[in-house]
Amino acid sequence: MDFPLLSVIVLLPAVGGLIVLALPRRRGELVLPVALALSLLTLAAACRLLASFEVGPASFQFEEQVTWYEPWGVSYHLGVDGISLLMVLLTALLFPIALLASTSITHRVKGFFASMLFLEAGILGVFVALDLLVFFAFWEVMLVPMYFIIGMWGGERRRYAALKFLLFTALGSALMLAGILALALLAGDQLGRPTFDFVELLGVDLGRAAQFWLFGAFALSFAIKVPLFPLHTWLPDAHVEAPTAGSVILAGVLLKMGAYGLIRFNLTLFPEASVDLVPLLAVLAVIGIIYGAVVATVQKDIKRLVAYSSVSHLGFVVLGIFALTTQGLQGGVIQMVNHGLTTGALFLLVGMIYERRHTRQISDYGGLATVMPLFAGAFLFVSLASIGLPPLNGFVGEFLVLLGSYLSLPGFAVAASLGVVLAAVYLLWAYQRMFTGPITVEANRGLRDLGFREVALLAPIVALILFLGIFPKPALDRVEPAVQGILDRIEMTTNYQVPQFGTEADLPAAEGQP
Amino acid sequence: MNVSLTFLSIAPEIALAAAVILLLMVEVTWKLRAAVWGAIAGAGLAAATALSAWQWVAHRGADAGLFWHEMIAVDGFSAFAGMLVFPLAGLGLMSAWRLAVSQRRRGAEFVALVLLAAAGAHLMAAAGDLIMLFIGLEVFSISLYVLAGFTRERADADEASLKYFLLGAFASAVFLYGVALVFAATGTTTIYGIDGIADYLGGTIIFRPGVLLAGLALLLVGMAFKVSAAPFHVWAPDVYQGAPGGITGFLAASAKVAGFAALARVLTAALGPRADDWVPAVAVLAALSVVVGTLLAVAQDDVKRLLAYSSVAHAGFILTALVAGRGGIGDMWFYLATYALQVLGAFTVAAVVSGDGAGRSPLSHWNGLGRRSPWLAAAMTLMLLAMGGIPLTAGFAGKVAVFRAAIDAGYLWLVIVAVLATVAGLFFYLRVVVAMYLSDPEEEAAGALAGPAVGWGARIVLAVAAAATLVFGIAPWPLLEVLRDALPL
Repeated sequence: MDFPLLSVIVLLPAVGGLIVLALPRRRGELVLPVALALSLLTLAAACRLLASFEVGPASFQFEEQVTWYEPWGVSYHLGVDGISLLMVLLTALLFPIALLASTSITHRVKGFFASMLFLEAGILGVFVALDLLVFFAFWEVMLVPMYFIIGMWGGERRRYAALKFLLFTALGSALMLAGILALALLAGDQLGRPTFDFVELLGVDLGRAAQFWLFGAFALSFAIKVPLFPLHTWLPDAHVEAPTAGSVILAGVLLKMGAYGLIRFNLTLFPEASVDLVPLLAVLAVIGIIYGAVVATVQKDIKRLVAYSSVSHLGFVVLGIFALTTQGLQGGVIQMVNHGLTTGALFLLVGMIYERRHTRQISDYGGLATVMPLFAGAFLFVSLASIGLPPLNGFVGEFLVLLGSYLSLPGFAVAASLGVVLAAVYLLWAYQRMFTGPITVEANRGLRDLGFREVALLAPIVALILFLGIFPKPALDRVEPAVQGILDRIEMTTNYQVPQFGTEADLPAAEGQP
Repeated sequence: MNVSLTFLSIAPEIALAAAVILLLMVEVTWKLRAAVWGAIAGAGLAAATALSAWQWVAHRGADAGLFWHEMIAVDGFSAFAGMLVFPLAGLGLMSAWRLAVSQRRRGAEFVALVLLAAAGAHLMAAAGDLIMLFIGLEVFSISLYVLAGFTRERADADEASLKYFLLGAFASAVFLYGVALVFAATGTTTIYGIDGIADYLGGTIIFRPGVLLAGLALLLVGMAFKVSAAPFHVWAPDVYQGAPGGITGFLAASAKVAGFAALARVLTAALGPRADDWVPAVAVLAALSVVVGTLLAVAQDDVKRLLAYSSVAHAGFILTALVAGRGGIGDMWFYLATYALQVLGAFTVAAVVSGDGAGRSPLSHWNGLGRRSPWLAAAMTLMLLAMGGIPLTAGFAGKVAVFRAAIDAGYLWLVIVAVLATVAGLFFYLRVVVAMYLSDPEEEAAGALAGPAVGWGARIVLAVAAAATLVFGIAPWPLLEVLRDALPL
């Protein structure tokens, strides 16, 4: 067996968490450097993964498989394709940034950084697991550190928010567990032995009714996580109450787990149900896009505004996924990365201003651009990326999503493009109220601009936003084979035809030829 | 039949009985120090465990060896029950040690009662005859009635004991009536053998099964009471809340183990041929238990009461494995063994926090425990997460095991009810976690910043429970593999 790179990536942060817990209480100053070092090591390992990832084949790479319990068909099976590769990279990148942004955490520092590292291990595990039971274990165990991060280091209403977050997600995942068990046993009827292995399950032919119910059990869990309208109500509370690092991870990575699950499991395991349920999911996605944007527009709290903008942006991702076209699915995946970067950066920025003024009310600010030009510039830059201004990364994702969904769901694409306009409204209006004009509140006059640490936090994200906006090809190339593989599978198992550009024009001609 | 083998079949009971007699006699004559009680009890339990382990090696995976005119059945099932219940009694004693010592002269009786209860519990698992099962049940139950009220000075302990005794005696009577009706229908009370119940039911078509079904129902009700399955659970919260803290863990854990061992043997071995009659009833009991236990636990403000209702829900989860009949026995044992340790650990922490002799353990006692005693709070959190079924704890592996068994048996609806209850369960387990970590201690003045003193016994119990919860959570397979031999064949 080759070097188990994926296991190392998952285990590094977990080991880091244990090291942090084992640090002596008196040496509190060591906690941040140690945690940061371990998360940077994880990032380095993830970069190694990127470097040796082979572009082209649609199959899983870096596979590791160890049989765990033969009678149940459980094995420790890890592997990545282009989609999970991007998610792993995003996770590994955002965690060091989130850790470094947590210098304002002053009580129970050890617990906080250990929780963050355990959370990172859990999230990475979710993205690389190819055995459903192992996937579920990572999925569920990750709730515990996140619960504590919100509940112990959060804002005023942290307990309520943490509990709401936990119960919403646990409700979804409970049904998913029942679905996973039922799926494994259904597979057992056909293969002669139950299996939880994702790759083996792909070969199982499920009946239409079974697909429908299992799709529901899985999709409910993922839709809560995404979050899809109307299951989103936990998100604003969790985001607003979580500490900055928590919000960054929540928005940047955690929500992606839901979209990732939809792509990885729902589309591939239950293709027939996916095709049948496209209208439902597309409607919910579009409602989410517009509803999230409208609600974001009227928020008085800047953190809540960013939180609702996530609902809107994730709607784009889901619309792209269930457009069931190459462009849409590719755009959805790219948009997942983009949203992770831009919203992560927005939450960082909100956290920075909150640390200075301890208020998140938009009306408490005004004219900040004169005292904090760097901060204002960064905020504007990230906002523009989030709105989808070319040549920044948001444009690439949203463009592909709209293009892809126009092919199969033109009406929805038109409605969704309204979301792009509204994004400009809420973000630029917020920018205008907070940064332009004269300084209205005296307390803002003496605010420091960004320090070196803060610039260092934002620099990698800003660089990536630019890079992915101007030259998205490397990312698209890696996603493409995986996306194509999923769509091929849907075409093979159902009578759905993936629409391509020009097919409608070609069809009559093709019929005309004898 | 070989005489030495005959006696070896009840050797664990003999070892315990010897320890009990020694304790009582010697204590009357010479007023011994508490350490001597511990040594005698420890020796008795260790011998019993070793003998069970020997039985395990000799009998696992084989048909039940029958002794004493088919009264005692020795097989992997009974041997594993011994290997579980005797160490559990040892841990229970350690958890209750400070309580036992504080009772001064009565302490020796206390220790003897725990040993007797363990012997009764094992007899229930090893009974090859319904009458023998009833005797085991009575030895076990009566010991527990006394233990529940051991701190006679406290009125609520008396209440707990009396309530436990009255309702328990009633349930025993119901069980006995069930035995009588089954005897009326089949003409025998033996489970195994040529003229045993299983053989009779397997080979005879009963045209008017009314008497048999009534007997079956009464047996089920009697046992459901012992394991506190809803709707026969009403005693559990009052008893667990009133009983002295130190011993509550043993009460809860051993009652589950003994009750389910007996239930599983009666249902799958004796009444196995009538599975179509009892499986739906068990499924309904399971669903009721998880729902009632979970819903009522949500409303509790006392941790011991909360754990009592959660134990009702857990009775439901364990029953979920039983709907798979014989196929679920291994999963049932896995759940039972890991849950017994979790509940013992949780009640041990409760005893440390609220006092060994105390009955109540209101949530306010737990406020800020995370700051006062980080290790204690961490152990409790682990136990609660395990009971809530979070992965990487044995609780998750156990839930997956019992759910898998139930889905395999075609009871998907039951599993869906159970997973929904699991989620709701997280709510009240987390309430305790919230109190420990997110709430500030109420009386800062009263030395609240120094956590409660933890005895060595409690330390050992918590270390064992935590280690087992983690080990079997991360790698449950070896134990599951082994437990496939623990069937009542």
